[in-house]
Amino acid sequence: MAGIYLHIPFCKQKCRYCDFVSFAGRSDVAEAYMACLLKEIELRGKELAGRTFDTVYFGGGTPSVVDPKYIYAAMRQIKKCFTLAARPEITIEMNPGTVSEQKIAMYKRAGINRFSIGLQTAIDAQLEELGRVHTVRDYLYCTSLLKGENFSADVMLGIRGQTQEDVRKTIEIASASGAKHISMYALQPEDGTPIYTDYLNGELPDGDEVAALYDFGRALLAEKGYHRYEVSNFCKKGFESRHNLNYWKRGEYVGMGVSASSFFSGRRLLNTTDLDEYMKCILSGFLPVIDSEEVTPQEARFEFVMLGLRTVYGVSSKAYREAFGTDWKEDFAAAYRRTQRYLEEDGDVTRIKDDYLFVQNQILSEYAG
Amino acid sequence: MAKASKFLRNFCIIAHIDHGKSTIADRIMELTGQVSKRDMEEQLLDSMDIERERGITIKLTPVRMYYNALDGNEYEFNLIDTPGHVDFTYEVSRSLAACEGALVVVDATQGVEAQTLANVYLALENNLELVPVINKIDLPSARIDETKEEIEEVIGLDASEAPCVSAKEGTNIRDILEAVVKFIPPPEGDTKDALRALIFDSYYDNYKGVILFVRIRDGQVKVGDKIRTFLSERTYDVTEVGAFAPHLQPKSVLLAGEVGYIAASIKSIEDVEVGDTVTFADRPAKEPLPGYKKVQPVVFCGIYPLDGSKFGDLKEAILKRKLNDAALTFEPDNSVALGFGFRCGFLGLLHMEIVQERIEREFNLDIITTAPSVSYLVHKTNGETLSVDNPSHLPPPTDIEYMEEPIVKAEIYTPPEYVGSIMELCQDKRGVYKNMTYLDARRVRLDYLLPLNEIVYDFFDELKSRTKGYASFDYELDGYQRSKLVKLDILLNGEACDALSTIVHEDHAYKRGRMLAENLKDAIPRQLFEIPIQAAVGGKIIARETVKAVRKDVLAKCYGGDITRKKKLLEKQKEGKKRMRQVGTVEVPSEVFMEILKTNKDRK
Repeated sequence: MAGIYLHIPFCKQKCRYCDFVSFAGRSDVAEAYMACLLKEIELRGKELAGRTFDTVYFGGGTPSVVDPKYIYAAMRQIKKCFTLAARPEITIEMNPGTVSEQKIAMYKRAGINRFSIGLQTAIDAQLEELGRVHTVRDYLYCTSLLKGENFSADVMLGIRGQTQEDVRKTIEIASASGAKHISMYALQPEDGTPIYTDYLNGELPDGDEVAALYDFGRALLAEKGYHRYEVSNFCKKGFESRHNLNYWKRGEYVGMGVSASSFFSGRRLLNTTDLDEYMKCILSGFLPVIDSEEVTPQEARFEFVMLGLRTVYGVSSKAYREAFGTDWKEDFAAAYRRTQRYLEEDGDVTRIKDDYLFVQNQILSEYAG
Repeated sequence: MAKASKFLRNFCIIAHIDHGKSTIADRIMELTGQVSKRDMEEQLLDSMDIERERGITIKLTPVRMYYNALDGNEYEFNLIDTPGHVDFTYEVSRSLAACEGALVVVDATQGVEAQTLANVYLALENNLELVPVINKIDLPSARIDETKEEIEEVIGLDASEAPCVSAKEGTNIRDILEAVVKFIPPPEGDTKDALRALIFDSYYDNYKGVILFVRIRDGQVKVGDKIRTFLSERTYDVTEVGAFAPHLQPKSVLLAGEVGYIAASIKSIEDVEVGDTVTFADRPAKEPLPGYKKVQPVVFCGIYPLDGSKFGDLKEAILKRKLNDAALTFEPDNSVALGFGFRCGFLGLLHMEIVQERIEREFNLDIITTAPSVSYLVHKTNGETLSVDNPSHLPPPTDIEYMEEPIVKAEIYTPPEYVGSIMELCQDKRGVYKNMTYLDARRVRLDYLLPLNEIVYDFFDELKSRTKGYASFDYELDGYQRSKLVKLDILLNGEACDALSTIVHEDHAYKRGRMLAENLKDAIPRQLFEIPIQAAVGGKIIARETVKAVRKDVLAKCYGGDITRKKKLLEKQKEGKKRMRQVGTVEVPSEVFMEILKTNKDRK
């Protein structure tokens, strides 16, 4: 398994919680940026010739704000420069309020077969509170264009004033709109974002309240046939995100675009987060990498466990042994012993017990460092 | 006869904290050209970071200067700085023994304080000539005449010729230097006599071995001399002698009357004791100089390495501290919760904090300290009497006939408006009222007998907060008193934690137990399971709190770009856990062991 990630850093406006590399009001450079992206695809494609990729993911920012012809061109370039497996999963992130019938038609022509939609909440006042550009109606319009398609909806927990009833309404709308996949995230107030101030002032639901919303949401999702396969990800059977599963299996991926990160040949790379620097580099014929780190064998082992335990697939002793030639329970003997009561064994696989997945840092940190 | 130089003056400065001692020392050095203004770091003598940060002097630091006096002669001055805090009386007495005189600095806005008085008495015992100096005359609230009167009434010194200065502005500093020349006598002693040098301080230098700070009373010493001390059989070859400039500056010889240092490749830090006398190995003096009064530790606590494998490093650090700090005592100890460490004895709370901080900073060690305790006398039913300063060493209640606790005689100086509040505090702390004296319209002195146990708890903080910092306080031990004391245990998730046990008065046990449980509830982070915290006396639970299980601790998103970041976050979280101690199944942050004695109000 291997994945390709393409970062489209443009937005209509910046959400109040967002700390991604995204720019509102820079649509003037979209054309130049997308041209640079094509160039980076070419450069990376040469370097990674011989590898087969299973998934492509357009993330952002908001990939759906740029002219769909750029997405089409990027996909064409990918197909030209990389080897894709048969029946690849190709996803694009979209925000309601930025889509149209024509856009979706163009995406489909480009080969995109999975859509990830930022719903967040089905309460308009809360959407406004978050600084989102859309309303619930926009979401419904957007999904009406995706009838029968494989799409996912994002649901956010921990919004100011959010109640269980709000979460119920949101999940019900997501489910009724035909989402095959739902990502339910706890809002993470990051330093430097406007919402961080709300957090500092105690205006956001606290950990216990978020945990209660999560437990409620998880039960409701199960009721509606969405099973949890990772702490924040739920889906109908067979609709797991292959692209994301690859991350958690510690598979290789190549990220292109500003701020994108990559992991292949045992190294983790990071592209510059500065839009102008990114373009300057590419135009001079360089890869815009600002950080390149070899993962030590010990780090690699920790990553494997950390990522595996996020999911219900857990850590497979066999897969671990194949990757590293050792027994993971021996490599992490002390941590394993200390956390054993929160883990469950299922044949070859060890996973975090259901009720502890939402407090997993307490367990994972034992394995760190 | 070969008399010591009559152009030599050895003196120190006595002052209450904040009365400007270090600033005056800095100005004197500046004026004598010892340190150029440009190079000068504020308060040069306070060379330790801790001292500069806290604005106090702990370690005495000598410095030599040359002064061209108005009489046309050049004088050599040795200024030995002294600590101003009650805990460091022993350091003061060491400085005093190396001097002929002392400047008594009094803040013109504050008047004479308890600590100044205590040190003045010490100086008088050492036959020092005292020169009062009135500082901070630049402040609008300075009361120069009243301060002079107070010096005459309270201390009994003639203040008519006292220099009135502002160290901050550098006003009238020369008056101080002239007063030193005029009032402080030159040292006595004969350079031809057998060598007798008082060790008043020492420290360990990685290259030169132990550096002895000495005052030469008789004779002289130079490189190549064979020396020994009176308390040790070993002999050493002197490799370097010199003066404090203020950094070590080699000289060819140190003569009677002078203050300086001796290096003699002394390797073992336990081989020299401060207060001992250095003499020649082959022709020793007949008897040593009078040493210092042995100081007894009164406050005790456990010190443990954060990382159990660093026990050896901790031992080394404590041994090296001990070299410079005769008052520090220690013995190996071990705790179920904290592993191997040391039980250390200190002169007071500040001394304890300083030692802890210096071990952490100077030896780059992370340590855990337990709550301070005092030493109790335990009379057992079998007739034995034990001295117990570690609550976990207390025998079972059935074996105890009765216990005694140390009592102090406390003097509290305060503006009259706080008398009521202070009396209430003392009463609350089981104090016994002795006397009240009006010193003048603005100052009252209260005398109380107080259990030391209560002072170690939170007396200082309470006194300060109740009097807006206006009251000052001094105490001395006044024997032991029979008392109803009990051991208060803390159980975490059903398991007793030895390092959290304290000895308290029976009447305070319930209140203290409640408070401890509440404090611990806030201090112990939530974990994967619910943690009951119980306070117990003699097996009976007297208070209970619960730390709820953590419900959310998750990194919501973990995709390509997040992996490195999440890894670092988890590593950081793990680092945090390393600072915790495992008590049974519960992880307890190291600070908790020290902080449990804080009152509720400190915590918020």
